[in-house]
Amino acid sequence: MQTLRWVGRRLLMGLVTLLGIALLVFFAARLVPGQAASVLLGPLATQEQRDALTAELGLDRDLFTQFGIWIGKVVTGDFGDSIISGQPVLDEIALRLPVTATLALMALGIALLVGVPLGVLQALRARRRGGAVGSRVISGLGISVPEFVLGALVVLLFSTVPLGITIGAFTAISDDLWLGLVSSLLPALVLSVFCAAATARTTRDAVLGVLVEPWIQAAVGRGERPWAIVRHHVLRNASIPILTLAATLLAYLLGGAVIVEGLFNVPGVGSYMLLAMDRRDYAVIQAAVMLAAVVFVVMSVLVELASNLIDPRVSTMGATT
Amino acid sequence: MTGAAAALARTPGRLRSLRTSDPVLTIAVVILGLLVAASLAGRLIPGLNDGTTTVGGRFEAPSLAHPLGTDSLGRSLVARLLEGIGTTFLLSALAVLCTAVIATALGIVAAYAGGWVRELVMRIGDVLYAFPAILLALLVAAAIGPGSTAALASIVLVTVPLMTRMVCAAATDVARRDFVTSARISGVAAPVIMVRHLLTCVSGTVVVQGTYALSVAILVEGGLSFLGYGVQLPAASLGLLVSEGNVYLLTAPWILIAAGTTMVLAILAVTLVGDALRDRLEPREAVDLT
Repeated sequence: MQTLRWVGRRLLMGLVTLLGIALLVFFAARLVPGQAASVLLGPLATQEQRDALTAELGLDRDLFTQFGIWIGKVVTGDFGDSIISGQPVLDEIALRLPVTATLALMALGIALLVGVPLGVLQALRARRRGGAVGSRVISGLGISVPEFVLGALVVLLFSTVPLGITIGAFTAISDDLWLGLVSSLLPALVLSVFCAAATARTTRDAVLGVLVEPWIQAAVGRGERPWAIVRHHVLRNASIPILTLAATLLAYLLGGAVIVEGLFNVPGVGSYMLLAMDRRDYAVIQAAVMLAAVVFVVMSVLVELASNLIDPRVSTMGATT
Repeated sequence: MTGAAAALARTPGRLRSLRTSDPVLTIAVVILGLLVAASLAGRLIPGLNDGTTTVGGRFEAPSLAHPLGTDSLGRSLVARLLEGIGTTFLLSALAVLCTAVIATALGIVAAYAGGWVRELVMRIGDVLYAFPAILLALLVAAAIGPGSTAALASIVLVTVPLMTRMVCAAATDVARRDFVTSARISGVAAPVIMVRHLLTCVSGTVVVQGTYALSVAILVEGGLSFLGYGVQLPAASLGLLVSEGNVYLLTAPWILIAAGTTMVLAILAVTLVGDALRDRLEPREAVDLT
């Protein structure tokens, strides 16, 4: 009962956030200079034609009515039609989502496989002089290399030296599983560098936070082996920040892999968004941004729920604030 | 001299922790100092920064005359890079300054007022925080048009939510303490409490978060300029130069390598300084398992 009430409250808060996001996206589009009617009809249109189109688009009503109409459509999944293709925006995005999702899951998988052990190792060696310096610089470097620099360097490397993977030739996973995975591998690797480094840093901090606890000292005193202590006592207690980060990273990868997708010619949501920016296809931009934010909000609710299940002590369910 | 040595002998532990015996921090500070000095030198010494003059043929490979080669218009890449570092640092620093002012003010007021004010600030923060950074930046660029202003506004919008949340958390801890309560009971005005007590206590958090925000700022400027919606030609910024390097990837790879390396060094140096500051301001003692 309490759990249900908590979930309800958290969902309500998520809805409020989503409403704020919708407001921001809607009004950002209204800030765009120039009137839609003049843009769509070109310079040769008469004033009557412009007025007619403005009325047809509903742009002659006041902003709040317009917002109401827009949000009403968005709730039913109608983000309008793309100016480029004339197809419903949502269909266009749904077409490209599997590609982006494959990429995101691969990148996150690599990041967790590398980042968590690296972070644990860093935390255990935090007090040794040499080990700490090396790992600090490595994980610092990982979060400091922008994906567009790394991506461009990888493209340069693979286009000058024949290494067996052709850049820019993309195969969908649904067409050929093996070729699809191979063609997603490079962009996924590029994306995973930042994610792995961020995971390592968060893991290090979380593990360091657990290591100060008295029960760790007790385990050391009982003579348990270091890796047994890490497995039984440390990782589970350090898992909440790592989980939270993983969810944030997944949301970021699902919505924000814009640059890497563009660089590697991956036909996902990100490169579609770039194309839309290029052609000023605002319906698409609004929908893509909105969806990324929705994913983020949903993920954060799920993570908070999971955190409560993992560690009942940090439960926010009973909290009133 | 002997007095100082005696004092050193008496409190070795404390002094050692305050001294910059950390080689990583030293190197990071030196790199940062060199980058800033180079960009200043580029601005102040006229001969050095001839980013507008053609000095050789197009796409000349690095040589003694042009240490980093030339770009698509035959300009020296060194001069372009110096200008780029200057633009990126100035833009990022300005943006982080705005962020620091906005986030500190919001965070402290929200923490002191509590209740619905705090809730409102946090919810607005949540809304901004829910956008992936580069999408938010693209949205801003779409709304107000590409350019330096868009880059600046994007950086502020991307960095404000996290910093506000951190400052607010730190200030909430302080606001619950007895000395704040007694100040309030003694009739000290709210603005005075916020400035004298809360601001003083959260200044460490502001500095650490500001440093991290600076590295995010360089990243966001880079990404937005890389996509063509940030700093516009004929100006130069690190992101713009990386973008140029990407266009001429196979013809002139040195552009990408030089601009990319500089950008990575800048972000890495700022991040490492941030880490060192955080370790000093929020030290943790962990048990050694081995």
